[in-house]
Amino acid sequence: MVSPPEVRRAVVIEDDPDIRGLLVRVLTKQGFIVTEAGEGLTGVEEVRRSQPDLVTLDLNLPDLDGLEVCKLLREFSDAFIVMLTARADELDKLTGLDNGADEYISKPFSPRELQSRINALFRRRPSPAAADTASLSELQRATEVQQSLLPKEDIRVEGYDVAGVFRPSRSVGGDFYDWYQTPEGLHLTFADAMGKGMGAALIAATVRAVMRSTGRRQDLDGAFASASRAIATDLDSSNSFVTLFHARLDAASGKVSYVDAGHGLALHVESGGAAHRLPSGGPPVGAWSGSEWPQSGLDLAPGDCLVVVSDGVLDVFETVEDFTEAVRRATQSEHSAQAASSAILSLAPAETAEDDVTVVVVRRLPEGVAA
Amino acid sequence: MEFSYEVKDSYAEVKADGRLNMVSAPKLREFVTDVIAGGSNRIVVNLENTAFMDSSGLGALIGCLKAARQAGGDLRIAAVQPQVKMVLQLTSMDKVLTAYPSVEEAFSND
Repeated sequence: MVSPPEVRRAVVIEDDPDIRGLLVRVLTKQGFIVTEAGEGLTGVEEVRRSQPDLVTLDLNLPDLDGLEVCKLLREFSDAFIVMLTARADELDKLTGLDNGADEYISKPFSPRELQSRINALFRRRPSPAAADTASLSELQRATEVQQSLLPKEDIRVEGYDVAGVFRPSRSVGGDFYDWYQTPEGLHLTFADAMGKGMGAALIAATVRAVMRSTGRRQDLDGAFASASRAIATDLDSSNSFVTLFHARLDAASGKVSYVDAGHGLALHVESGGAAHRLPSGGPPVGAWSGSEWPQSGLDLAPGDCLVVVSDGVLDVFETVEDFTEAVRRATQSEHSAQAASSAILSLAPAETAEDDVTVVVVRRLPEGVAA
Repeated sequence: MEFSYEVKDSYAEVKADGRLNMVSAPKLREFVTDVIAGGSNRIVVNLENTAFMDSSGLGALIGCLKAARQAGGDLRIAAVQPQVKMVLQLTSMDKVLTAYPSVEEAFSND
């Protein structure tokens, strides 16, 4: 496909006329066609009208809070949103939140810094306007498929606290998790299909169905081997693969048996102690024929957690060790599986995460605590 | 991402510079397939300037490896950078995709 010469549009939403003028000049110099608004509501209208690739948004506007404006914009616009604030102390707080902005810059800013940050944004992913409408509707369908894979029912296992959170990226990856109760405890599947979009979402749907169908088989090794064969056959034609972590919990004893195919991001976080990453037992399913995956196990003592995280969180860290340490701290700082999941999710700020982010926490309650 | 290749004595070196992600992965696959079709079935992918690889990038390397083996040769990777190494280790693919410190060493023993 030949890309048309790129016309990039920007909208500046800023009440201070001097700063507004400066922003318009800087962006025009960078090749944007720039329009401007002095208030939040007129800004939203301007974005709706001109469908820009980039919006700069002042946090303190006369009519609406910048965060409100951002939320309104995200309902219909996929533009990069750069938020500007005069209060440097707000910056830390803002960046930790999932409020839909892509970048934050404190005032006073240097035009060069603004330019380089904007360039970095556009390097990270192609201009949203370049995506045609067909692929946008595919994206919506892929999102629906992906959402439909998540477990709808809460799970109640005596003596345990189980939670999962999922935050899709704007480009829809192939992450999902699934769990269901068994007489002994629970089965948990955590998977990430290669790539993004509809293809990845459909592969994820297949994997979920196959894994569910093997739930009745008692032997984990045999169940996993037959499931992986079925999945690999489907994957072969699509040149794809899926990383898969599948675990079975025996609630009474705290014993977890698991198979890890190329995931490598499950952790055993001991109560008040160390975190051990569970190395993967073999390549992802569908990646390499003839692969085998040995079953492994661990014991969840009261207060311990089994934490499974997608690589969307890992991407934020330099090394796996840094990642493990950050997840350990986030897990131990909270006292419920839900709070721990959210704390781990926020390790990957929404504005930098290119990938889906998924977290599941299975926490064995400390002794003497009722479920 | 930019690709280039050079045919050496006993192998072809493919350089892949940039980020190996969903956008560039199919291009790498296509590029290496062309090199194999051109008669070189022993390929070293020089990853010295590949700072980032995602799952699609890994998929492309696996696809290229399969293609090279199918043509009776092999594909090896060299000068692997930390993030790429991390992805290979996490996924246990380091056992399948052999990494060598330098391009010269990749086929030096056979």
